[in-house]
Order: sequence, then C-alpha cells, then structure tokens
Amino acid sequence: MAKQAPGVRIDGLTVVYKTPAGELPAVRDVTLTLEPGTITGIVGESGSGKSTMALSLLNAVQPPGRIAAGSVEIDGLGDVVGLRGEELRKARGKHIGYVFQAAQNSLNPLKTVGKQLLDLGRSHGVDDLRGLVREAKELLGRMGLDGARVLDSHQHELSGGMRQRVGIMLALVLNAHLVVLDEPTTALDMITQANILKIVREVHAERGLTTLVITHDIGVVAEVADRLAVMYGGRLVEQGPTRHVLGAPRHPYTRGLIRAIPRLVGDIAEAQALPGRPPTLATVPKEGCVFRERCPLRMDVCDTVDPEAHADGARAVACHAVTVKEHA
Amino acid sequence: MSVLLESSSTSAAMRRNFWRGVWRVMKRKPSRLVGAVLMAGFVFMGAFGPMFYPDQLPRDPGQITRPPSWEHWLGTDDQGRDVIALVVTGSRYVLLAALVTAVITVVVGTGIGLFSGFKRGRWDTVLMRLTDMKLTIPGLPLLLVLSTVWKFSSAVQMGLVLGLLSWGGVARAVRSQTLSLRERGFIEAARGLGLSTSHIVGKELLPSMAPYIAMNMLIAITGGVYSQVGLFFLGVLPYESNNWGQMLNTAVFRSGALTVPSALGFLLGPLLAILLLTLAIVLVVDAMDEIFNPRLREE
Amino acid sequence: MITGTGIVKTFKQRGKVLGARDVQALRGVDFAIPRGGAASFIGESGCGKTTLGRIIAGLETYDEGEILIDGVAMSSLRHKQRQPHFRKIQLIHQDPYSALNPTRTIHQTLYAPLSLRAKQTGRPGSWIEERAAEVLTLVGLDPGTVLSRYPHQLSGGMRQRVVIARALTVDPEMLVADEAVSMIDVSLRLGILALLKDLRERLGVSVLFITHDVATARYIGDDGELYVIYRGQVVERGAVDTVIADPVHPYTQALLSAIPVLHGLEQPGEEPVVPLESLDESQADEGCLFARRCPFRGERCTSERPLLQLTEGVPQEHACFYPERRSVIARPMSEV
Repeated sequence: MAKQAPGVRIDGLTVVYKTPAGELPAVRDVTLTLEPGTITGIVGESGSGKSTMALSLLNAVQPPGRIAAGSVEIDGLGDVVGLRGEELRKARGKHIGYVFQAAQNSLNPLKTVGKQLLDLGRSHGVDDLRGLVREAKELLGRMGLDGARVLDSHQHELSGGMRQRVGIMLALVLNAHLVVLDEPTTALDMITQANILKIVREVHAERGLTTLVITHDIGVVAEVADRLAVMYGGRLVEQGPTRHVLGAPRHPYTRGLIRAIPRLVGDIAEAQALPGRPPTLATVPKEGCVFRERCPLRMDVCDTVDPEAHADGARAVACHAVTVKEHA
Repeated sequence: MSVLLESSSTSAAMRRNFWRGVWRVMKRKPSRLVGAVLMAGFVFMGAFGPMFYPDQLPRDPGQITRPPSWEHWLGTDDQGRDVIALVVTGSRYVLLAALVTAVITVVVGTGIGLFSGFKRGRWDTVLMRLTDMKLTIPGLPLLLVLSTVWKFSSAVQMGLVLGLLSWGGVARAVRSQTLSLRERGFIEAARGLGLSTSHIVGKELLPSMAPYIAMNMLIAITGGVYSQVGLFFLGVLPYESNNWGQMLNTAVFRSGALTVPSALGFLLGPLLAILLLTLAIVLVVDAMDEIFNPRLREE
Repeated sequence: MITGTGIVKTFKQRGKVLGARDVQALRGVDFAIPRGGAASFIGESGCGKTTLGRIIAGLETYDEGEILIDGVAMSSLRHKQRQPHFRKIQLIHQDPYSALNPTRTIHQTLYAPLSLRAKQTGRPGSWIEERAAEVLTLVGLDPGTVLSRYPHQLSGGMRQRVVIARALTVDPEMLVADEAVSMIDVSLRLGILALLKDLRERLGVSVLFITHDVATARYIGDDGELYVIYRGQVVERGAVDTVIADPVHPYTQALLSAIPVLHGLEQPGEEPVVPLESLDESQADEGCLFARRCPFRGERCTSERPLLQLTEGVPQEHACFYPERRSVIARPMSEV
C-alpha cells in the first residue's frame, strides 16, 4: 500500500440546480478541509445539501445541477471540478470510493457479487483479476463475512447489513484511499448499525483512509467521526472536532439539533423540538442567514447579511449572534 | 340547508380549480392543444357533420373518380360523390362505434379488474381465469364468423361486439394496479376507519387510477376505429351504411386506387381522417398523467 | 383497556413442495394496555413488532390467542362485528407520504370518516366542518390554511399530523404509532412525539409506540411499559425507565449497547454487550431463541426455552435463566 491517505480541500464550493424559478443553490460557498487520515462527518436534514456536496467530491452532480463555483482539491488528483470524461471515471473507484445511499439496494439483482466485482475490475483496467478477488475476500473476511460465500451470492441472498458491507468492500477494493459513505446505516437495525460503524472505524484505521460520512443522524457521526460539520439550507453552519462540537455546540441550529434528540437517561422534558421546519431548495432565503426563521438568537443583521464562518482554533461557526458575543 | 349549500359551493370551487388546472396542463405543450382541437373537431364532425348534407349525397355523373380539384378538394368517388362529404357523413358510424367500444372496454375491464383485485381470493381466481380464457380467443376470426350472422348495421351493435372482445387487457392491468394500491397506507387507513367499500373503491382507488383509465379509454377508441375499419375494408360485411372502411374498400378494390392516380383522393380521404384521429389521441394521452395528478397539474 | 393473550401468528409460505418453511412471526405474546396508558414495542426489524401492531389495529389476522377490547373477546365475533371494536384502535403509518391519498385534499380526507361518524351518532352536518377544524387544531395545524391543500403541498411533519388528525376523527381509544417518526426530519421528530404525548394527556388516548429507537419510546411516557421483542417472543417487559436503566435480558442489553454514544456529552456504559453472531432466522428453534448469539449462555439455554416471568430481586418480567443487571447505556458526562 504505497498510497497515502489524501487530504481534501473544498474551497468556496457552490452547486446550483436549475428549476423553473431560475438557478437555486443547493450548496452555497462551502469551505471544508478533510485532513489526511481523519473521519469527517457531515450532518444535515433533508434539503441541507449534504448529499449534493458529497457528489461534488466525485464531480458527479447530475443535471439539472452543476458546480457553479469553487474547487475540490484532492491530493494526488488535483482539482476534481476540472476533471472530465475518462480521467474522471478512472478517478472514481481508484482514488475515491463511494458507498451510495441505500447501498443495500444498489447491487445488480441479476448478477452475483463476484461477477459485479469482476465487472468493476475490468472497467478500471485491472490486469490481476485474481488479485482483486483475493483482496475482496480479505476485505469481506475482515468485516466478519465468509468472502467466498458472499462473492457467490446474489443480492437477495444477503441481509441488509451484509449488503452494506459488500458496498464498503466494492468502494475499497480498488485501493481507494478517500472513501465517501452516504447514509451508511439508514434502514439498518441498531445492532447492525453498531457493527457497521465499528467496521468503518477499524477499516479506516487499518487501511489508512480519509473518510467522509454523510448522515442525518448525529449519533452516527458521534460514534465514528473525528471532525463534525453541520449543514443547513446549503450552508456549512458549524464545524470542529466532534467531541468539542457535541460537548459545547455554538451555532443555534447545532444546539437545537442536539437538544431535539431524546435521551436514555435524565429528564425527558429537556428534549425540545426545534420550531419551524427545514427549508427546501425553493424556500431557502436568498439573502441573510438561512437559519434565521427558526433561530432564537435572531437579530436585525441576520435578515440582510449572510454570516461568514468565523474560525476559532479548530472550530468555525457561521452566526452573527455567536460572533457578537465573542467580540463583546 | 346552509351546510348543504356550503359543501356544494366548495365542490363547485374544486371543479373550477380542476378545469383551471386542466387548462394549465394543456397550455404547457402546444402539441396538446393541437390534439385537443383536432379531437373537438372530430366530435363536432361525428355529432353535427352529417346534418350539413342531404341523406342522399348528390352524384355528379360527369365527375366520376376524379383527383382533387377546387370543386372537390379530395376528389370524387366512383359514383361521382364528393370524398369530403363521404368522410364527414361516414364519421358518425365510425366514431360512435369506436366510442361505444371504448366505453364498454373500460367499464367492463375496470369493473372486473377492480373487483378482482380488491376482493382477491376465490373471486379473483375465477375472474382472472375467465379473463385469461377471453384473452385466448382470437378476435378477428371470431368477428369474421360473427359477421356471417350479423350485419352490424347499427354502430352501437358494432361497438358492443368490439367492446366485449377487448376488455381483457384492461381488466388484467387494472387488477394489478388495484393490488399494488390496496397495500398503500391510505387504503389501509380507510379500512381501519371503517369507511364503506364503495367509498374506498369509488373515492380512493378510482381517482388514483383515473389517468390510467382515461389513457386506456383513449387508446381503446383508436383500437375500435382500426378494427371496424379493418372489417369493412376486408369486405366481410355487406355494404349497409356509409363509413370509412367501406370507402377504403371501394377505393382499393373497385376503383383501383393503388394503381390509378385519379382515385388517390378517394383513398386519401378516409386514411387522412384515421391518421388525424390517431394523432389527436396520441397528443392528448400525453397530458392525462398531469391532468389527474394534483401535483403535476399545479406545477 | 386492550389486552391480548397468547397471540400466535405464522406466515405460511406458498409452494411448500419446494421446501419453503413457515415463518413464526409471533410465538404467544401477551400484552395489556390500559385506557390512557402507554406501551412501547421495541426490537429489530423482523422481530414481529409491526405484525403485532397490525394485529392489534385489526389489519391482520392471528392464528391463536385472544384479543379483548374493553372486555369483548374478538374471537367470539364475526368479521363484520369486530369492525366497530377495532375502529377504536387507529394505526399511524410509518410513511406519511403513502398514508394520505394524493388525489384528495385534506378536507376530503377528513370529511369521509367524519360524515360516517356524524351518521352513526346522529349529529347534524354542520358538526362535520366544526370537527374537522377541531381535530386539525388539536394536532397543531391551522385549519384555514391546511384544509384546502393537497398532501403534496405539506411537509413530512405536517402530513404526519394530518394522519394523526384523521385517526382522531373516529374518537379512538388507542393510537398505534408504527415507527411514526422515522421518516421525518430529525429536528421535527420531537414535535410529533410531543404531540402524541400531549394527546395522551389531554384526550386520554392510549398510545402504543412501535420502534427500534429505545430513546423515543421513553419520550412517549415514563409511566408506560416497554416490551422488548425478539423473534416473536417478548423477552423483557417492565416500566420504561426500569428496563432502560437496569435491563436484565442479554438481548435488551445488546440493543441498548448498540445505541450510539454522543461522545463529548455522554460516557459509554461500562459493560456493553455485543451479540456473538448476526440475526439468522434459520437457526433451530429449540431452547432460548437468543442462545446462539448470547455471550452469557449456559447449558440450560440450548435445551429449554425460558418463559417471560417474574423472578426474585428483579422488578421487571424477563425471559432469561440467568438474569443479571449490567450497566450498558451511556450516561451524561455531568452525572459521571
């Protein structure tokens, strides 16, 4: 394994979707760095732009969407936004492994897992197919599965958790060192989810990966991620080391989100719902802060000026109220 | 009383909204408007067209099997009658028969499909076996046999026979739609609330299938036109009344329209009518999904 | 009061010739939910909790056992006669997108059951409109804006509220909420849970909550009962906080151990339980159903099936030969 875990620098990324009401931004001016060898978690609700953002890492945003501005620099690859055609296809899989949302259902039901593995190898010009199969078996074995049996199976013969592991195997088998997992545990049971998260953590450490986990579930990020980034209405509102952000959230949205999670112990009345509802592509405010409609700390300036992310050591928050308080 | 008025006024408002939505959907693509206008033209032609002509069309002995001219835009037939007049007077039989075919196809097909899919169990098995059996009966040969007995002088009779021969496919399709819809949450909820079966079928299931049924209806109309025109064209039915199939038959077999250029107009008249009708239906079918889906209707 | 005793449900698979086997969805389940009370069924998918919920709501038949609704035994009634009893129990579907008919406005959706209700109780037609507005207000929606809308014009959270409002139109005694918040945005989930809790307190409607998320079960009511279901059998049953804080069945412990820990806010439990193998439905049914995956199994476990019972020193019922308290759940930092 000669390759190193790559670093990723996303700078000023804006992705717009063409709608009858004009081009609307699904992701707006997001700047985020994935340090080599870390697991970063992006948390957001529906419409927060988290999946679109993950797709732009592969430069795979489908029309009517397009990357309107910004760059995604990946070590050893350069700016992905500039890649086209064959270069891009090769980069996917070889450099970047992607485990799609609902990976449980993304296998071809008519082919065995092994056949799909060989297809993947051939399309990426792998000469040593035997080696590829050996590698796949090893990975599956690592994840607690019987490799030979799984490769001989069709999709319907595998349980949800097993399929998810197959998805991870397919993302890693070409020796990619940047892995994106989109909602890796949705629709899985608690115990299976815990297993998958454990596997993600272990494989990440053993193979020296840079991992990005996209999820709506703060618990998932809390379990696996070193760093946490919170997205809302296409904006990155807060980021920082997971423990710090969870322990002392600063952005009112992060705070509200954490308070909205029912807990196992303590006073249940402490859990409070966030008022209002998350914006959709069409209802995201054109100017000012995207969160102000639901914000308890709303000020006049929030209506007109979109807060910029203020860095403070390893953390960054985009909120006028928080910035004011710190400078007061 | 006031409540009755209120609820009737809300339903009137809803109906108004529905037609406004339909207009929006039609406007979205010019092709749909063209289709709708053509269709309206055919309805008008079938309903009122024949009134503009005398029962016995005038014959012009000096103008037998002529090509298109200023006087006769599509020429004349072998008896010196104007082809356009023939197409118009013939349309009533063709369109009426096609409409009856479509109504029977859809009513019988939907009825059996809905009942079968909703009741399931024994009824389903019996009805579907029946449908399968019906589907195995070849339509055209049966029609040929029937035509030796019946003369099909009335369009309704013709439509009735064609309709009873073609509901099988619709029944099967509606049944499978029903089976998948009945597992949906809102049908289950309606059952849990204790709503009557007639409510569930009429108010919940049917509207969800409306675009599908409307599409089948329109397509059944073209099917109805083709089969009867085909029958008359083959000449298996005696010449009783004026219609498009009869015209084609005469043009090809008596006037030799395939070889004689002067009879081309005679052939073209009914062909053009069938073509335009099919076109109109294809263009309108495209709008059905959006008309009956409230979300697509408004967007 | 709604009680069930020894409910058994087997899904027969077709084509038995080719060796298809029957699936035992429920293996004799007892439950009792008092009027105005709360209960939660928790377990992994396929454990039978959804089937049980559907049986209770009258949407599924059962093979053995008895359900009593306010003292009336359902098995003594014919299908048609059962209907008014089961109407007292309304199911809230998991998916608010398929639970409302897309071709009907909210007004139409509420009008149908309400007019039926008006006919049954001999109320005038004017009552229908009033009541429609009333149930929408109860679930926290503004009747003026919602009534004329189609479902697609509402957000997921609002749809789920409409679904609850529709259930309220028939004055139910119990709501069965099957994973009712799993398809709703995280920041809005608590609002729906709070609504269910509120309806319990204000209308005295009992709530049966079916979920795989133990923490939400707790939110419905700390006076409620928790049923932990594994492969069609209740393996632990007791007051919500007792079962969560001091679980004794290894399966419950495994389930609770698997809940993600909010590092930075919480401290993981000291003795997390990790099951040995993954759930395999095809294992033999002898002995304890959890034995193959249980890290603490003894000899007795593979030959004999433990039944749900009370034993000394344990406040909750459980189905384990070797019950033992283990500290598995995460605790807030401040408490440690």
